[in-house]
Amino acid sequence: GAKNTSSSRPLFLSPPFVNASLVKGSFKTIVVLPKYVDEDEWLAVNVFEFFNYLNLFYGSVTDFCTTNNCPSMSAGPGKSAKLSAPTYIDYVMTWIQNLLNDEATFPTKAGRDFPSDFRQTVKQIFKQSFRVFAHIYHNHYDKILHLCEEGHFNSLFAHFISFAKEFNLLDKKEMAPLEELIEVMEMNGHFS
Amino acid sequence: ILNNNSLSNNGHQDYVVFQRSTEGFPKGTLDRSIAAKLKLEHFYKVTLEQAIERNQRRQELEAKLENDPCSDDRRNRQFQSLGRKESQFLRLRRTRLGLDDFNTVKVIGKGAFGEVRLVQKSDTGKIYAMKTLRKADMFKKDQLAHVKAERDVLAESDSPWVVQLFYSFQDSQYLYLIMEFLPGGDLMTMLIKYDTFSEDVTRFYIAECVLAIEAIHKLGFIHRDIKPDNILIDQNGHIKLSDFGLSTGFHKTHDSAYYQRLLDGSLNGASGGGHRQLPSEHDINLTLSSKDRIATWRKNRRALAYSTVGTPDYIAPEIFLQKGYSQECDWWSLGAIMFECLVGYPPFCSENAHETYRKIINWRDQLYFPDDVHLSPEAEDLIRRLICAPEQRLGRSHGGEEIKCHPFFAGVNWDTIRSIAAPFVPVLKSITDTSYFPTEDLDKIPEQPPISDHSQFNQKDLAFVGYTFKRFDDLTRKNAL
Ligand SMILES: Nc1ncnc2c1ncn2[C@@H]1O[C@H](COP(=O)(O)OP(=O)(O)OP(=O)(O)O)[C@@H](O)[C@H]1O
Repeated sequence: GAKNTSSSRPLFLSPPFVNASLVKGSFKTIVVLPKYVDEDEWLAVNVFEFFNYLNLFYGSVTDFCTTNNCPSMSAGPGKSAKLSAPTYIDYVMTWIQNLLNDEATFPTKAGRDFPSDFRQTVKQIFKQSFRVFAHIYHNHYDKILHLCEEGHFNSLFAHFISFAKEFNLLDKKEMAPLEELIEVMEMNGHFS
Repeated sequence: ILNNNSLSNNGHQDYVVFQRSTEGFPKGTLDRSIAAKLKLEHFYKVTLEQAIERNQRRQELEAKLENDPCSDDRRNRQFQSLGRKESQFLRLRRTRLGLDDFNTVKVIGKGAFGEVRLVQKSDTGKIYAMKTLRKADMFKKDQLAHVKAERDVLAESDSPWVVQLFYSFQDSQYLYLIMEFLPGGDLMTMLIKYDTFSEDVTRFYIAECVLAIEAIHKLGFIHRDIKPDNILIDQNGHIKLSDFGLSTGFHKTHDSAYYQRLLDGSLNGASGGGHRQLPSEHDINLTLSSKDRIATWRKNRRALAYSTVGTPDYIAPEIFLQKGYSQECDWWSLGAIMFECLVGYPPFCSENAHETYRKIINWRDQLYFPDDVHLSPEAEDLIRRLICAPEQRLGRSHGGEEIKCHPFFAGVNWDTIRSIAAPFVPVLKSITDTSYFPTEDLDKIPEQPPISDHSQFNQKDLAFVGYTFKRFDDLTRKNAL
């Protein structure tokens, strides 16, 4: 027979899905700042990639993230904002996209420097991106499973957290909605 | 939580059994899901490779400086310089290159699926050759995966014999390839200019081709379509093979159904594309002198190169007989090119493609050395050892090594040939000098490629996942004359 605890456990914390991953082992090697490389440049390219892939995976469940299904933005039990999830996420993603395209914030031309408050901006982006991850984990994980994306999505998230830990980009309380998942990933050796 | 989610006891762990099904999911969702997964897989592959390469570059510099008795100051400067380059390379990953980052200087070439332009990158001023490929044409061919694989091999190869690819990007209609610009033009243009080469000059080009073909064979690649148009000349007069892996696979000439129709002759009537538009009074027959024949061939040569059908003149018979072929088919092409260098036209050239195919298949009766052209016995022998049945062909069992030993190449120093003086070294006035290209023939082509709408990519773009290639070397290369 099944244990009772399992039934109340969300799918993303249940084996085997909780252990699924596309990338085996630790993300450390691709997360630490490469020697001699400019830290802002490293933050920038990683923010850029995390955003692109988060956007792609949100895109794959976006048909199910409707004002009907998700009338309020929730990223885990308890927390919710007044806006519907699709409206909130659209707002967040557009905001990040615009920042990434802004030459003053994310310079791409040769010889241009990063603004002095760049790190603050990166932290803001991480905070908001985390909410999108959390919303997908808490509300659309069944779709992730139907689409056989759990290994990919888990790895992307583990990579994201690994990076955030390395550069102190997320506070502990900001990570609370996915605390248990992060613990499992830690135990699975994805961060060290 | 879910009805279709049952629990089972699997050993000591609770394994949740989840019945997966995408029934009723919108097609857009499924497409986006596949794309997201593919792209992420590609991302991790590339990210890992780049991390390894970055490490190697650092370790190489560290090892180099360790044995170098220079000051700490100098050492630090070197490391900082590497760091700057690495940072720039990272920045490049965020940089969305598009058409508007390049200014066209001139249209310099035309291929089956688009044009080649000399372009300048606006912010750095560096010069490149940009090839456009119409996606729609390429999708008619069912060979994308294979072409992409080939492209990867070549793009990463670093061979001095292959044109380097620096960036690529796409919009909804075109793929754009940003390659190194070879200012010396191509061997076809050179042959149009000189008619024939002496045996010494021929020896140089054919020897370099042997090394180039050997290099791509060693990468596990078969070209199948080596022709003078694809043999490009660099600023020092040495050759490189054009980035064929990107487009050759799409070519009509590799479409087996197309060959079949050609052999049946059914392409000769209605579809004029396969026709060489020779006026009938120029019919080539054996009574014409070689000189006339060269003139006729030359006159039509460029039109042939620009036609979407391409020229079959250099293709080995086994390729379109569809009985399977292997690397030695490229050595046949080399034989045909060598014949053309010495005689002035390729061995089986005729009025139309169908006739050429027929002759190639019947090469035993059709290979004919004209009386009024003198060839040394070694040269004729080499050609005959290349234009022959695949089982007997030189290079069949021991690749390039076998060919290098042929008496025609006596005296060639294979190790240094790329660094010796070439017979024709382009004389260039500037980095954008296009005098070695027939630009007057191309002036009807618009300077700027047509702007296609930059709206969302459609489904088909999946096939091009990972088609964005940026090269570290580009940052270190001195791109000036
Ligand atoms: N990197 C380059 N630098 C200078 N000229 C080039 C370069 N690439 C191509 N060209 C010119 O453009 C012409 C056409 O290019 P290419 O042969 O690559 O096109 P294609 O015929 O479509 O290709 P392929 O037949 O190999 O698939 C060449 O013959 C050459 O004159």
